[in-house]
Amino acid sequence: MAAPARKRPRASPELLEALRAGKAALRRQRERLALREKVRILLELQRLCMPLIARHRPLAEWERPWEITP
Amino acid sequence: MPSFAEALRVLNDMKDAGVVEDYAVAGAMAMMFWAEPIPTYDLDVLVLLPGDDAAIVSLAPLYEWAAKRGYAARAEHVLIEGVPVQFLPAHNSLAEEAVDRAATVEYEGVPVRVVRPEYLAALYLEPGARTLKRRERAAALMESTALDRAALEALLNRFDLKF
Repeated sequence: MAAPARKRPRASPELLEALRAGKAALRRQRERLALREKVRILLELQRLCMPLIARHRPLAEWERPWEITP
Repeated sequence: MPSFAEALRVLNDMKDAGVVEDYAVAGAMAMMFWAEPIPTYDLDVLVLLPGDDAAIVSLAPLYEWAAKRGYAARAEHVLIEGVPVQFLPAHNSLAEEAVDRAATVEYEGVPVRVVRPEYLAALYLEPGARTLKRRERAAALMESTALDRAALEALLNRFDLKF
């Protein structure tokens, strides 16, 4: 028999809306970054993501972090 | 270590040399110009090849030009200044228009042709290419402030595409 559902505090619609608005604002802020900064982020993402992708499938020969500066 | 701008400069050299009639950065790297950066490991470049429509499409002259400059082609990519570049000859009128109407954006003093966000989203929604990942990218572009919704609607109608 399942345990009786425990009453937990839940996020209000207002709080959820505020959190979503915050996320959208962050996205807009990242959209407006200078291109050089975006490339710097991309190079960082490449280094971070590669081991994660490699856990799921073999990497193609060209799928390596780029050895370049932004 | 080479810089991203140096790789972009080579694309312009390629156009100046007449190896391609025109080009425009597409795919995830084009998204970076209009939205948030997303991880990618190659640079997609849409190209209009010289010649008339009777000519057989071949990337051989482009690969030869690159090889003469020390940029080797491997696994359908050309490694240009540390960046694996995939050249994609325009495959239909939408892709041709995407190159023709590309925006010229400056990156560290280098002018670079980039597919506009409306065309990028439309290309992601082509029937042959509608993977979940590509639809997700089209959705991300639609949330971007850089995208003109009315222009995208018009493009989708004209090319009979839908989200």
